[in-house]
Amino acid sequence: MNLCKRACLYSIRKKGKTLTLLAFLLVMATLMLTCLSIQSATETANANIKKALLGYFTINAKTLENGIPEDTVSQILAMDGLSGRYTLRSYTYATYFDADGNLLEINTEGAAQVPEGYENAGRVVANSNSQEDSYFTDGGFEMVEGNPITTETGSQVLIHEKFAQRNGLSVGDTMLLGNVEDKDKTIPVTVAGIFTNTEKQDSIGMAPSYDLYDNIVFTDLSTASFLLYGTEGTTNVQYGDFYVNDPDELERIMTDVQELDGVDWENCTLTRYDNDYQNAKESLEGLQNIVFIAIAVVSVICFLVLALFLTLRLRGRIHETGVYLAMGISKGSVLLQYLLEVILVAAIALVISFGTSTAISHQIGSSLLSQVTSETYETVDLTGESETAEEPTEDLGLAEIEVAVSAEDYALVWAFGMVLCVASTALAAYPIMKMKPKSILSQMS
Amino acid sequence: MNLGIRAILYSARKWKKTLLVFCLLLAITTLVLSGLAIADAQEEQAEEVRGTTGASFTVERDISTGGWNGNYSTQEFMSEDMIQQIAAVDGIEGYDATLITLPRIFNDKGEELAHENYSFYNYGSYNSQYHELFLSGRFELVEGTHITDDMTGSIIISRELAEWNGLKVGDTLTGIYYPENNTPEVDMKIVGIFDVVADKNDQVNMYDDASYYAYSSYVFCSMDAAEGLIKGWGEDGEGISEAYYYVTDAAQLENVIREVQSISSINWNNYKITANDEVYQNISSALSDTGTLITTLIIVITVVSMVLIILILSMSIRSRKRETGILLAVGIAKPAVILQYVLETLLIAVVAFPLAYLSSKQVAGTLGTLFGKAVENVIVTPEHFMLVAIVGGILLVTAVLVSSISTLRLKPKQILAQME
Repeated sequence: MNLCKRACLYSIRKKGKTLTLLAFLLVMATLMLTCLSIQSATETANANIKKALLGYFTINAKTLENGIPEDTVSQILAMDGLSGRYTLRSYTYATYFDADGNLLEINTEGAAQVPEGYENAGRVVANSNSQEDSYFTDGGFEMVEGNPITTETGSQVLIHEKFAQRNGLSVGDTMLLGNVEDKDKTIPVTVAGIFTNTEKQDSIGMAPSYDLYDNIVFTDLSTASFLLYGTEGTTNVQYGDFYVNDPDELERIMTDVQELDGVDWENCTLTRYDNDYQNAKESLEGLQNIVFIAIAVVSVICFLVLALFLTLRLRGRIHETGVYLAMGISKGSVLLQYLLEVILVAAIALVISFGTSTAISHQIGSSLLSQVTSETYETVDLTGESETAEEPTEDLGLAEIEVAVSAEDYALVWAFGMVLCVASTALAAYPIMKMKPKSILSQMS
Repeated sequence: MNLGIRAILYSARKWKKTLLVFCLLLAITTLVLSGLAIADAQEEQAEEVRGTTGASFTVERDISTGGWNGNYSTQEFMSEDMIQQIAAVDGIEGYDATLITLPRIFNDKGEELAHENYSFYNYGSYNSQYHELFLSGRFELVEGTHITDDMTGSIIISRELAEWNGLKVGDTLTGIYYPENNTPEVDMKIVGIFDVVADKNDQVNMYDDASYYAYSSYVFCSMDAAEGLIKGWGEDGEGISEAYYYVTDAAQLENVIREVQSISSINWNNYKITANDEVYQNISSALSDTGTLITTLIIVITVVSMVLIILILSMSIRSRKRETGILLAVGIAKPAVILQYVLETLLIAVVAFPLAYLSSKQVAGTLGTLFGKAVENVIVTPEHFMLVAIVGGILLVTAVLVSSISTLRLKPKQILAQME
């Protein structure tokens, strides 16, 4: 009888034992695969935390004659590691005219001085999204009418409530913004919205007239680009804030940016802002280490348990071994038979384990999803009577956490599982094989 | 022969098998214990991460409920008592408040310090490390120490200012706010020097009073010094209008605020509280994902461990069918046989469980250092051990009982006849 046949017959005859072994191997393989899929999921979660800590760098190209050209901005955005979130900003001053070219009146009350040439001028702030400008986020500005500016083109402005009243302007009206030095260079813009300040300006008496809240207008980047650089059809900007996925990579990305052509980087200031990340960095690494240790502990002990179990199983077959050897079957083929039995069962267990661990991973994945939904509800009721500036959580473009068994993990578990089965069976069989059949059979209880 | 003796004799006679089962039990118990410790450590670590997000709340005087005299609000200012009272609430890690003055500053020879435009922008501060400018990373202390609430007559200055005027930590400066109003001269010792990290040329800063001053002209002095600078000058124009409190655990922010609001000696009609935990809000979902994943992992480990123990025990009992048959044939009662098996298992467990307690204390640390990732807070507590010992014990007994049923249902003759 050849050894393959013997192995199969044994497995079938001892159904109970084979099933126990199968169950054991299946549970182990499932555990390992689930562990590995959880581990890769926590890596995604960790990357999400890093991303949500919003590391970014700012390019200040104020001193450059042409600012940052549009091409360079798109080149930077195409770079590896950027999260796609960014803010472009420009600041200048402009003289205000109505649609017919008559000068508009500004507020001078509370101004430290009205600089010459700025009698009808004010500060012009251009931002990719006017709602995200610091005047709105930190300075207490609020829209009262119309819509914020969210496009880079469109020749729109937002004006202060008092400025609108003083000059009889309303949403939809047209006015002109003129270059302060070159009065002929004007650009027509539409009033898209009206804002007001909810906090009093604390620099009254100190600020020149053009910096007073009443005299500020918000516009789009291309209008500011025209006023600053005289560009038409293309938009150059003074400042850019670019957010990255992994704040650890900020340094590398900033170096790469400075190697791009078309901008005199020597005269630009690049500043990194990753304070939130730097604060959390150490504890975050601790958290990652815990995950790592959990996986390491599980793997090591799993292997240990598996090896012990296979040894235990083989020891119950000393009698059988003695009989085989007494029948004249070579030690090699007896060992091979044992190996074959284990490998056969292990192969079946590994195949099934893919299904079971995928099912478990799926379950974990969906429980994560439902948790996210329930959390959004939780944050709604915060601090009853205290005033909260709670905005709906902004979309940070975080990756969805996927708990799934990857092909590499599966292959890894196959390889390790097989090696371990073979090694521990061989090791457990070694002391038995060393003995003579006679001493084995006489040793039996 | 009494069943206790039989159990011991069996375990000793089959010592190799006993040892194997022992090792298995030890390994599995260690796994579960480490798992429990890891779950706790994760909880703790997540709390630490939340603590670094700088979640805070601001207490400020409510202008809307106060009077207005035409130029400024006459709402009452925050008193030092009130600020300290709030700071003493549990869960608050640190606090700061600012009292802004614009003094002229002189060195010990009576010469005014060289500086950029205007005068100095001076923040009176309790704990300057919690000042927004330092927390946001725009300024960074490079020498000396921060201002703390137990300091008096202290000041920290920018590196530029120190360089231009040849100043170093330990030097004394004198500040005067409004000499024409007879405000006193205040002596302040330099305790620290900070670096300006932020780019002041970025025009995004330009909207408030402070933004007209160069960062190099910013100074931070202890609160008593700031109060000294305005002494004797208009009573109602200056005072502390805002205080900032940072909490230890961002998830507890709400509770801390609630507790602060319940301080009855403060007239909350005159003050309002604003919560700020944007960073925490941003990372909270990803952070709790990690938590859920680890918890799930531990649950999976525990369940799998239970299954493994049942499998191992049932295998070991099933291989003793013949023995069971003989024992029954010689007239030993079925319960006594079962009890013997249970006893044998418990004998092993009694040794394995405490040993697992000791080994699991080592496992996490050793594995961590092995890969250069030490984690201090993975600690196996006696509670973990109690839990595992009790649940494990019950599980073992049940497993033995369940696996003996199939054998014990049969008559001794059937059992022995079934044998090969």
